[in-house]
Amino acid sequence: MDSGNIPDLPVPPDARDRPRVGVDEWVAQVEHRRARYSGLAGLAYRGISFIPPPGRLALFAAFAATLPLWMGRGDLFTYGIFTLLYALLGLGLNVVVGYAGLLDLGYVAFFGFGAYFYAELSSPQYGIHWSSAAAIPVVVVATALLGLVLGISSRRLLGDYLAIVTLFFGQAFVVFVNVGNPTVGGKGLSGGPNGIADIDPLDLFGYELTTRNQQYYFLLLSVVVALVGLHTLSESRTGRAWRALREDPLAAETMTIPVKRLKLMAFAFGAGIAGFAGCIFASVLTAVTAGNFDLPLLITIYAVVILGGLGSITGVVLGAIVINVSFQFLAPENPQNNARILFYAVLLLLLILSLRPWWRLGAVVGGVVGFGILTRLIVEAVAPSWAGGPVVEGGRLAGAIKEWVVIPTPAHDRFGNWAYVCLVVAILILTLVQGWMRTALLVPIVYLAAVVWENSFVEQPAVARWILFGSLLIGLMTLRPQGLLGTPRVEVV
Amino acid sequence: MRKRATAIAALLALAALAIVAAASAKTDRGAAPATSDSSLINCGKTRTIGVAAPVTGPAASIGAQQDRWARFFVSRYNASHKKKLRVVGGDTQLPDTAQAIQVAERFASNSQILGVVGPAGSQEVQVSTAPLKQGGLAFVSGSATRTSLTVDGSRKGFFFRVVPNDDQQGPRVASWIRTKLRATRVVVVDAQNTYSTGLSDTVERILKAAGVNVRRETVSESTVTDFSSLVARIPADTQVVYVPWQLAPKAQLFGQQLRAAGKNARLFGSDGLFDPDNFKIPGSLISFFPIDLKSKVIAAYRRGPGKGQSELFGLPSYVAADVVARAIDKACANGSASRAEVRRFVARTNIPKKQSLLGFTVRFVQTVKAPLGPGDMQRPADFGIYQIGASGAYNRVG
Amino acid sequence: MDLPLAFDSQLATQLLVNGLTLGSLYALIALGYTMVYGILKLLNFAHGDVYMVGAFVGFGVLNAFGGPLSPNIAIAPLIALMFLGAMLGSGALGVVIERFAYRPLRDAPRIAPLISALGVSFFLQNSVLLLFGASFRSYNSFLLGSDHPQQFVPGPLTDAAFVVNGVNVQLVQIIVLALTFGLMVALTLLVARTKIGKAMRATAYDREAAAMMGIDVDRVIASTFLIGSMLAGAAGVMFGLLFSQIFHFMGFLAGLKGFTAAVVGGIGSIPGAMLGGILVGLAEAFATGYAGGRWSDLIVFGILIFVLLVRPSGLLGTRAIQKV
Repeated sequence: MDSGNIPDLPVPPDARDRPRVGVDEWVAQVEHRRARYSGLAGLAYRGISFIPPPGRLALFAAFAATLPLWMGRGDLFTYGIFTLLYALLGLGLNVVVGYAGLLDLGYVAFFGFGAYFYAELSSPQYGIHWSSAAAIPVVVVATALLGLVLGISSRRLLGDYLAIVTLFFGQAFVVFVNVGNPTVGGKGLSGGPNGIADIDPLDLFGYELTTRNQQYYFLLLSVVVALVGLHTLSESRTGRAWRALREDPLAAETMTIPVKRLKLMAFAFGAGIAGFAGCIFASVLTAVTAGNFDLPLLITIYAVVILGGLGSITGVVLGAIVINVSFQFLAPENPQNNARILFYAVLLLLLILSLRPWWRLGAVVGGVVGFGILTRLIVEAVAPSWAGGPVVEGGRLAGAIKEWVVIPTPAHDRFGNWAYVCLVVAILILTLVQGWMRTALLVPIVYLAAVVWENSFVEQPAVARWILFGSLLIGLMTLRPQGLLGTPRVEVV
Repeated sequence: MRKRATAIAALLALAALAIVAAASAKTDRGAAPATSDSSLINCGKTRTIGVAAPVTGPAASIGAQQDRWARFFVSRYNASHKKKLRVVGGDTQLPDTAQAIQVAERFASNSQILGVVGPAGSQEVQVSTAPLKQGGLAFVSGSATRTSLTVDGSRKGFFFRVVPNDDQQGPRVASWIRTKLRATRVVVVDAQNTYSTGLSDTVERILKAAGVNVRRETVSESTVTDFSSLVARIPADTQVVYVPWQLAPKAQLFGQQLRAAGKNARLFGSDGLFDPDNFKIPGSLISFFPIDLKSKVIAAYRRGPGKGQSELFGLPSYVAADVVARAIDKACANGSASRAEVRRFVARTNIPKKQSLLGFTVRFVQTVKAPLGPGDMQRPADFGIYQIGASGAYNRVG
Repeated sequence: MDLPLAFDSQLATQLLVNGLTLGSLYALIALGYTMVYGILKLLNFAHGDVYMVGAFVGFGVLNAFGGPLSPNIAIAPLIALMFLGAMLGSGALGVVIERFAYRPLRDAPRIAPLISALGVSFFLQNSVLLLFGASFRSYNSFLLGSDHPQQFVPGPLTDAAFVVNGVNVQLVQIIVLALTFGLMVALTLLVARTKIGKAMRATAYDREAAAMMGIDVDRVIASTFLIGSMLAGAAGVMFGLLFSQIFHFMGFLAGLKGFTAAVVGGIGSIPGAMLGGILVGLAEAFATGYAGGRWSDLIVFGILIFVLLVRPSGLLGTRAIQKV
């Protein structure tokens, strides 16, 4: 026998590539659970968990209440009102998907039903002008009943089949309202493609909410009430029963939890919240058409819920903030300077977060700047028509950018497209290499990203917004599959 | 204990909210003097206009055209004027009007914007009205044709359009079908959007009243890619098929499938289909402005942003941008302008026939004179009828 | 008001042909969904956009050889090249998507890759929008291969290959039906007879056990995505040849129909996807043909919901035995 040197254990391969053969899933996930508490995200998670829910609510409400004091009207509308609307819808969807685990792809139809029903009750369509204090409860109850009806279909269908039926329901609603439009009482019920217009503003006991500030505060109030209610619900027996249902329906049923009744309740509850959100939406927009309640909105709400972390109320609010704020910040109507500054700031931030130690970061940044200037000088000397094009919406940075980035004259208009394709390929390759090669490759890739931005994205900001948004979703989900504040669930497949 | 803490925190939060709400709710901060109606903006060397169009999403193929034509005008304007125009684009993503209202709110809050080109869809105009009116902005649309938008009078002085409305186009088409084509068996195919349904209703109503046998079909032109089942429904003895659609390539496919099925009905398209590059079924008729197809501007567009295509769906947006630019020029004559001034000059627009790309003088109606309302263009603004020849060329016949 | 037409055997035959053609497209897309679901239990919502990219790659090949109005080579090899190019391009794209967007999420809860897939979908759609622009691109299949395209003389694709009951069955429809049939047979043979097919079935049944048996699970999953995406690419070119007009948003709509078809047929079952696709295509054709566009969508939904309520696991899906 050898004297004493125990040979080193072989280094296990990367955790992601390690086969999980024979390893219990729960044990295998221990790395994930430990990783949760490390790094910047872990710090944030711990910080947020440290504050008790009432404190979080108070902080959120206090911050949100100050928004109208420093935001212009347009910004308040896009950043404030719509974030809260998405949060409200996300909270409702969270009950169905996050608590009860039912994949409901027709959720937006409840939102639409609530909006249309409110519109019928408070518009010139049929001449009925109920006060909102009367209309809103009626709409919420009706939508909850509709949710109950849809929930009945969930008795026989499981998982993805339920998803399809709810998807049909959602699409059927859109088609019915847009085209079906049966004639009731002499008029088309839903107004057809024109929808219902001139909807009355919210009218609570004589107090009309006509300004954006008033609408914003009402919405904030509703969200706060919903948060409190949902938190109480989640801590109650029903909430625990829902979570049991989500984790394992069969085990829950064995434990005498009334699974079928809980599913119906989840549908009804989620639908009720959506109905309420629909009323507010209708009165804020003053006109509703079928196109408002189609799949793009469903996708947004799902992104909000999943990004925030299924089942976590704070996560849903955070998800709504992240998604709406990032989407609106990149909007084309923002001055292009803003977007450009944001773009370079995010690039810098990504570099800072991923490069340690500091000298490496400095080397890369310096390398990018130097590489850029050098490239541009070479290109200008060799082929002048490939450098010297104008900087779009430069502002104060225009001079610096002109020296640094290669912008061909308008004669070479395919350059931006080719640069974009190269950039996508390069980024994919970047994720495959490791070590010093990765750091070295970062330099030309960051420069290429700047080239693509200046040549292609600034000219088509609307399209660039979607590309960046899609990349954000991919990046966030691959980095943190359980969502920002979700618990990494172990699924036994 | 936890429940009590929750309840107390909630009550505190509500109380705080109520106080702040009561304090600031009455004054809409966003409507601060900088963005309101009559405040003066220093015109300076660069003036800003907003262009709202659906640049991404299901309607991107037509929205992007409008955006390009409007920016084309701005580039030509900048090439020939000392003071420059700047465009702030907004993506309204038809058919989701929630984006359109956000764009409108943003435009209204942007203190530099003096006038808006757009929005494109009638339902978008509906939701954008309140924010744009409160911001005091004039908005000139190149494609919103629903008659009630002007005739109901609620947007007087704010909303203008450089396209005739449904009640002008419909009767023109119906009378052509009845008198010139002498058709007795007509099929109207409605594309399930607000533009198409309005025109279909009008044409069907007029033709039926004249005793023509009209059959109404529906198809969703944006989602349906195979029209063969629709073609199977059209009787073989139909003489005219009226297609008030907006997507020329879809209409082209429909026409080809119709011909391949051996049905020889003549296609009659509305102004949304006027696209010499994409809709080329020989023998078809289309209603459109009496433009000069050989105009230098169109040729320049083909060479430039059009990349070989004329994309005439967006042509009215060029004229809309022209209207806004002229109004801003006049308002800024003394160095500063307010949005209210720009609006007044837009209402008094007078683009003579020679300078107007539409083929007629552009002047706006000020009062309701059915079927026209304040914001519609005055006579002689109307449609012409074109026929597609054997080689795909468009010729004006009426 | 749309009146239902009286029964007419010519109309029925016409609708049958239309439905089968449309159904073939949906079946090919559904196959991609179902294969990926069988192995990973993942609903790949980016699949429709792979189909769209296939159509654009085919368009690129068409243009590289001179464009639809003046092709440089004969039409049969041109079409074959288009199919080849699109299948290769889509296949490669599918593998890349799996590697970068789904592999890191393989052990995550099922709903996480959903959002990643949506991100990929946004990314692909808008990349194509950025690179190709928003206008429709046309295969011009009506005039493809025509001797006098400027005079609008139709090309051979829309000629009637044969006539059934008074209904013209076009050459391009025959090509589509035959090719779909061939691809389905090839796929069934691949899954049933070859080693890789056996590996796929094993991995779909139990991924851990398959890994224990020495199957390279990563490679099997990559092959699944490759094959599914190749089928989608072929479907994209077929779409272009049948309906000419391609645009960046078409993947979203077709993907939805394909997903529906896969679920109705029983998700995870390959013959089920084929059957589901044909069913959805026929339902659409007949509903549009008899009831008109106004109610056709609702009728199709009604038919499919009825099917699901009668057979809650889809037409050919197996009732999952729940292990306690």
